[in-house]
Amino acid sequence: MTEMAIEARGLVKRYAEVTAVDGIDLQVPAGMIYAMLGPNGAGKTTTISMLTTLVRPTAGAGRVAGYDLLREAPQVRTRIGVTFQDIVLDNDLTGRQVLDIHGQLYRQPADLRRKRIADLVDLVQLGDAIDRLVKTYSGGMKRRLELARGLMTDPAILFLDEPTQGLDPQNRTGIWGYLRELNRQRGLTVLLTTHYMEEAEALASQVGIVDHGKLVSQGQPTELVAAMGADVIRVRGHGDSAAFLNQVAGLPFVERVETDRASGHLSLYVDQGSRRLVEIIAANTNGYQIEDVTIARPTLADVFLHHTGHALRDE
Amino acid sequence: MHATYVIWSKHMTKFWRSTEELLGLALQSVLWVVLFGVGMRGMISNVEGSDYMSYILPGIIALSALGGAVGGGIVLLDERLRGITKEYLVAPIPRLSILLGNASSTATKAMIQAAIMLVVGVLMGARLSLNPFGWIAALLLLALFAIGFSGLALAVAAISRSIMGYHGMIFLFNLPLLFASNALYPLSVLPGWMRVIVMLNPTTYLVDAVRALAFGVPATLPLLLSVAVVLLFAVLGTWLALSLFQRSVLK
Repeated sequence: MTEMAIEARGLVKRYAEVTAVDGIDLQVPAGMIYAMLGPNGAGKTTTISMLTTLVRPTAGAGRVAGYDLLREAPQVRTRIGVTFQDIVLDNDLTGRQVLDIHGQLYRQPADLRRKRIADLVDLVQLGDAIDRLVKTYSGGMKRRLELARGLMTDPAILFLDEPTQGLDPQNRTGIWGYLRELNRQRGLTVLLTTHYMEEAEALASQVGIVDHGKLVSQGQPTELVAAMGADVIRVRGHGDSAAFLNQVAGLPFVERVETDRASGHLSLYVDQGSRRLVEIIAANTNGYQIEDVTIARPTLADVFLHHTGHALRDE
Repeated sequence: MHATYVIWSKHMTKFWRSTEELLGLALQSVLWVVLFGVGMRGMISNVEGSDYMSYILPGIIALSALGGAVGGGIVLLDERLRGITKEYLVAPIPRLSILLGNASSTATKAMIQAAIMLVVGVLMGARLSLNPFGWIAALLLLALFAIGFSGLALAVAAISRSIMGYHGMIFLFNLPLLFASNALYPLSVLPGWMRVIVMLNPTTYLVDAVRALAFGVPATLPLLLSVAVVLLFAVLGTWLALSLFQRSVLK
């Protein structure tokens, strides 16, 4: 049995008018990178807020780093590092002061703080900029400084809420690199939320798909994708898609058909895409106008569509 | 206690760095004393046996302490609105230390402001009493007053949704605290209805006591009563800040 870094049972958060999180169970073994994938407003941030003791659950319970979220919040807080969805930094301090004050809050002695800062500046490659005021930093540098702050106290578990939101590809892959390295070298457990498919695929060994406050599916990205079937034929067109779907669904080699409610795009899961393409198109006799057809291996995006009934789009 | 100190020193670091804020605070003080004090002195040579500069200086000092407190409240509000409070909330520190850190930095700024004002006032001709214990007692009273008003400012900052809203609410307190008091004119010249309001205002008691202690102006109210009222104001302000702050962090 692996030791669980994060365990949650039936987490619920209700506000006056909305239920942000509607019963989430979560088990993250120590040393794993776990990604909660879902659109904005799915309840990811509220879930992270409850797991980091910022928000009290309306119902449910959880343990983080072996301590109870409600009764042992101070113990939980000493063992976790957190970065928030918005950039939360004092513009009028230098990067070094930000890290140093953070270490002071956790009662790190001065020599340890100096050493940690030197190590982290190397890790996130802030270089000389560490002694400049934060207001002179670019967005990517701010994110890297926040990551360093989350790591300052050498946490057992790192919580990252949308760690690369709004970053350019270069900074994004940079941050992925740091996280992979920390996870490999030190066995750091990471729970991150994201609405970027590629981020979940690139980083996570386990993905949880969150929609409308519920965890609708979870597993290894490769398994989730493999469960979708061998190939997917994506069809875009207009006209009466219902009749077309009825026809193709009856074909013996079609495992499943799905429609994206928002766009009307169709996904047909088949045993062999290239072989079945012609038969699929030939089955279209009811006046449905096919405009575009692509064959692909299923991705996490298809997994998401399958479990939620709508596509996940980058906002 | 440790976390309170860390937050206090962080706020003071930011304070010393923000040259506009510092300059603004200092200039504000000087302008009050020079423009208002000197101007009014031309018109009124003495009030109840003391020169006008000595008479209004305690009131102006109280006002500037309010200015410092308003600035301190903005720091809490700014940290709250920008989410910096969350960094404190996930740290293993008592919730109370977040408020105390803010309160102590706010009161420190208020006291710095008051000290500048005192120096300028004396340079402009206000006459201090000869008793240094009186000065210390007056400073202590000012500190209590600053804590009380910092409490009010922080309480408003804990619930405001915007900087504008904060200023609007603070303005409601700020102006009457100064003008509906004996800070600029003696109690004896006021009509009865206004005297009732003035007697409900803690500023009145502070100003009267500071005048008596630091500037040798005869007290018009019992000194012990003044001390008690200022102390009560400090306690009430702190309590209000505490209850509203706790409501704002418990989600």
